[in-house]
Amino acid sequence: MALLMSQNNQQEFWIGIDIGGTFTDFVVYSPNNRSLERRKILSTPSDPAEAVLQGLEQFSHSGNRHVVHGSTVATNAILERKGARTAFITTKGFRDVLQIGRQDRPKLYDLFPSIPPPLVSREWSFELTERMDYEGNIVTPLEERELKSIIKTLKNQNVESVAVSFLFSFMNPVHEQWVATQLRAEGFFVTASSEILPEFREYERTSTTVVNAYVSPVLDTYLGRLEQEMTPTEFHILQSNGGRISVSQARGHGVRSILSGPAGGVVGARFVAGLAGFTRILTFDMGGTSTDVSFVNDEIRVTSEAEVGGCPIRVPVIDIHTVGSGGGSLAMVDAGGNLRVGPGSAGADPGPACYGRGGRFPTVTDAHVVLGRLPADGFLGGQMTLKAEAAYDAFEELGRQISLQALPGLDIRQNLALGMIQIANAHMERALRVISVERGEDPREAALVSFGGAGGLHACDLARALGIPHVLIPPMAATLSALGMLAADVQLDYVQTVMLPNDTTFEMLQLQTVGMVRQGKEDLFRENISPEQAVMTRTVDIRYVGQSFDINVPLTSEFRQDFDRVHQEAYGYSQPDAPIEIVNVRVCAIGRITPPPIPCQPLASPDSSSAKWEERSVVLSNRVEAVPHYWGSRLQPGHKVSGPAILVMDDTTVYLALQDHASIDAYSNIIIDVGAADG
Amino acid sequence: MDDPIRTEVMKHRLVSVAEEMGARLQRAAFSSNIKERCDFSCAVFDETGNLVAQAAHIPVHLGAMPLSVQGCLETLTFAPGDVAMVNDPYRGGTHLPDITVVSPIFVNGHTESTLLGFVANRAHHADVGGMSAGSMPLSQEIFQEGFIIPPVKLMVNGQKNEDVWRLLMANVRTPDERVGDLQAQLAANHIGMERMQELAKRFGVQTLLADMDALLNYSERMTCQLLGQLPIGCYAFEDALDGDGFAEKPAVIKVAVTIERERATVDFSGTDAQRAGSINAVYPVTLSSVAYVFRCVLGLDIPANSGCLRPIHIIAPEGTLVNARHPSAVAAGNVETSQRIVDVLLGALAQACPERIPAASQGTMNNLTIGGWDARHGRPFAYYETIGGGMGAGPHSHGVSGRHSHMTNTLNTPVEALEYAYPFRILRYALREGSGGKGRQQGGNGLIRTYEFLQSAEVTLLCDRRVTQPFGLEAGKSGQPGRNRLKQNGVEKDLPGKCSILIQKDDVLTIESPGGGGFGSH
Repeated sequence: MALLMSQNNQQEFWIGIDIGGTFTDFVVYSPNNRSLERRKILSTPSDPAEAVLQGLEQFSHSGNRHVVHGSTVATNAILERKGARTAFITTKGFRDVLQIGRQDRPKLYDLFPSIPPPLVSREWSFELTERMDYEGNIVTPLEERELKSIIKTLKNQNVESVAVSFLFSFMNPVHEQWVATQLRAEGFFVTASSEILPEFREYERTSTTVVNAYVSPVLDTYLGRLEQEMTPTEFHILQSNGGRISVSQARGHGVRSILSGPAGGVVGARFVAGLAGFTRILTFDMGGTSTDVSFVNDEIRVTSEAEVGGCPIRVPVIDIHTVGSGGGSLAMVDAGGNLRVGPGSAGADPGPACYGRGGRFPTVTDAHVVLGRLPADGFLGGQMTLKAEAAYDAFEELGRQISLQALPGLDIRQNLALGMIQIANAHMERALRVISVERGEDPREAALVSFGGAGGLHACDLARALGIPHVLIPPMAATLSALGMLAADVQLDYVQTVMLPNDTTFEMLQLQTVGMVRQGKEDLFRENISPEQAVMTRTVDIRYVGQSFDINVPLTSEFRQDFDRVHQEAYGYSQPDAPIEIVNVRVCAIGRITPPPIPCQPLASPDSSSAKWEERSVVLSNRVEAVPHYWGSRLQPGHKVSGPAILVMDDTTVYLALQDHASIDAYSNIIIDVGAADG
Repeated sequence: MDDPIRTEVMKHRLVSVAEEMGARLQRAAFSSNIKERCDFSCAVFDETGNLVAQAAHIPVHLGAMPLSVQGCLETLTFAPGDVAMVNDPYRGGTHLPDITVVSPIFVNGHTESTLLGFVANRAHHADVGGMSAGSMPLSQEIFQEGFIIPPVKLMVNGQKNEDVWRLLMANVRTPDERVGDLQAQLAANHIGMERMQELAKRFGVQTLLADMDALLNYSERMTCQLLGQLPIGCYAFEDALDGDGFAEKPAVIKVAVTIERERATVDFSGTDAQRAGSINAVYPVTLSSVAYVFRCVLGLDIPANSGCLRPIHIIAPEGTLVNARHPSAVAAGNVETSQRIVDVLLGALAQACPERIPAASQGTMNNLTIGGWDARHGRPFAYYETIGGGMGAGPHSHGVSGRHSHMTNTLNTPVEALEYAYPFRILRYALREGSGGKGRQQGGNGLIRTYEFLQSAEVTLLCDRRVTQPFGLEAGKSGQPGRNRLKQNGVEKDLPGKCSILIQKDDVLTIESPGGGGFGSH
């Protein structure tokens, strides 16, 4: 992306666009005058493109637009089962692979499980006589004639898109490729598993292939329309792996952008935290109904084990863990007498009781109102007034259902509210543990980056529980995802299952990557990435012979030693003398881009009294105290605030406990030193 | 009264420990049975061996795990750094392939260390010796089923108890894999122990013990509350297993469930005497089945723990199919009889609360073990798998097809993983159309799985519902029974449900699993 004025002297705009349920966020950077603006307009759920086009017209009228967009079109197509008319062809004997899945049920104790139907019905699942063995030798040659009658049926049924996934095609794709070629010649949109994911495990590979076939035509229509109407100079979309990709390359690979929504937030968090000097972070995005967490250790952690709407997808996606706990989570008393929080949620309508829209049951947001941590006249920086009485009434009612002796100095409503926060925090602490310690990462060396609307009131307590020393809350956190789009590098991932034995040398493995590296270079070239900006990383998935999960390590001459070491670190033992198997080789092609410069201001004096609003009663961990409130919009770089305090920001409210000390850094981030637990 | 906030918070903390153990075990294990199929469970126990919190893993392990911990406690004395293992069904195990590894959690005080409780995990090992590869044989006494491990120490004072390891490894067919899996089990307990010690440091041992006690009381209260919603009365039902693999005489299980106010008695009196073949369940298996059924029917939305079982009284006469005596064979008791115990319990409870109970599911796990010498790799192999089938239809929904039901939920092994590792090939893996019972709501269809053998092998089948059928409810029809077929030299014949056979190269074996029962008249 060029920083220079274009030849026709038009203004340049770099624009990140993120579509949310309520708002479509825009971050617009203009290199001409180095201005960075963050804007929002109401989303248009029935036709998401409308809000995108409106916003572009408003914020970047007459200029060269370099757009990066995170689209929910592919995700919604799956969740609502509104994708292309898709059929599926596989090896004879295996047409039910999608119906059977892994033969397990999603919940152990549910006598009436509801299992989302596969994207392709049995009627549109077809078989062809052919078979490869595990080494890719042809056991049964392809019966080419059988394809004719299938094509006839596909045409009669107006099928648009076809997924082809044969057994062991990752070892020998010749049958799959022949079928794909024939189908393409007949005008179908075709996804062959050996093209999209040449990796073993037939159900997951087939599911990924079918998802791609199902969403790509829908995404293609959507992107085509946007491209035509918004006439961008450059148009990228964000992929689920946190990298961007040009629309022309994205179109045939819809599965790659399926989880791009939450990915933008993680990329944005990594970007702002990096500027502030934190490279090891836990991202914490607490919204109304759910909370997303992820771990970044310099690089964003990706996984190949994602699932959308009941369909596994095995392309790399950012490893984000979601729990159904948010500001709208409801409290109830269960049959055993315990106070429970969630999974029920008040959602946006009626929303928490304090919204005054008819909600009668207490939510986490109501709990903060009752505790005095969320000032009724300071919500969203004062844009919306909350009805504190309604929150108190909801807790009054809850108090009648539970057997609880209030702590000295607190009334039962405050005590319940405090309990509710503790329980909600226990849910989220569990989520943060899953994404850190369960993945072998120590949270005590990380910073917690909070950017969800409901997060600021929980971040410090959670950090304390996990021994995390710092919390970072970026300014305008609500548009972090759109900013992340502009900070995202170009990234393309390639994989090949190889199943090579113990005596495979480094040189032999390097040879295996040659094709993928060449492809990566070609693809980056198409993305206008210069060789200086291009980075190729080669990795291998290795396991001990007999194991069935593998570990990914960099492909260097030390790959064997690295594998033993990582195994030891992750699982507490290793077997340096045991034979290994090399399962997959992977190449990741990255094109570094220049992110927009974030305004940096000199630090003023630490005295923050100019931002002070007033003192009000707040329930701390076990008592009520008068606590100073600050207007976040008046806090300047350099200011310091010590807890207990409430910082009222435009898109979140931050609670500092007694032990917490906040300062505003040069980028207007709130950086909090989190004190240890008291007793 | 316990603090309803603190108990809820600690519930999350303790379940989180068990879940982290599970994540570690799955990732570090060697065998596909543990990694791909997730045939394991992890849990946290208090100092007397009560199960306090468990991650949601395999139902058949649930009720039974505390008995393993108690079995170890009765036999051994623990010091810091010790780890025990057990698989003996008559000392707290269920069947021999399930090896349970138990670690005490000690917390260091100023002068001495205090016992806080235990962490334990149970994993199904692909082979523990015995008369046939895979250790799920057609046996007539437990000694044929594999290497019996009474509670013994795997680790002593932080060091490997080498004698025990050597003895075990000399008695199993695939020792390298066993070593890898046991090390993974140790790693899982290790992380669980660390996390519990961290919690003890943060909250204090006494507080944590009180919290664990509160959690047990809470589960008990919750169970009582929900039991109180069932109509008071006595509900009886019976059903049968096809046979034990030796005498094809049905093996009948009878139950009478009495619901009183906030209490239940489950009485298996009248159940057939234990049999020669391995369909005998030891008591822990019966306990697990009862725990599973009540948990489902009551909709218990809490971590399974020993408190849930306190209001439920079980009468299982000794020497019957549901409480076998030493040394009867038990391999299939855990996997097949447990399913039938669930069936009779659901059949009984359907009379009490028809809205909550589905028709019978396939009622078997279709256990298949294949073993022999792998000429391709020049090593012995042992492979075990179970096959899903039709689930029973409910009052408002069709039964799901091709899934595991009730006491197991193990994943299938991908064909592409299996053929790479073992000398056979899958020719067909499909839904078995028309096998679900007809009804207003249809029973789910079973599965068809066809194996072609690339060299000779020994195959053992432990399958039920080949004669008896999964029942329908409210005039819904029964699901089709399963079928085992073998094609040799172009001739196909039916095989019994339970048998052990030598298979030659190019033979083709087909397993058809049963369909689920239908619900309501058509």
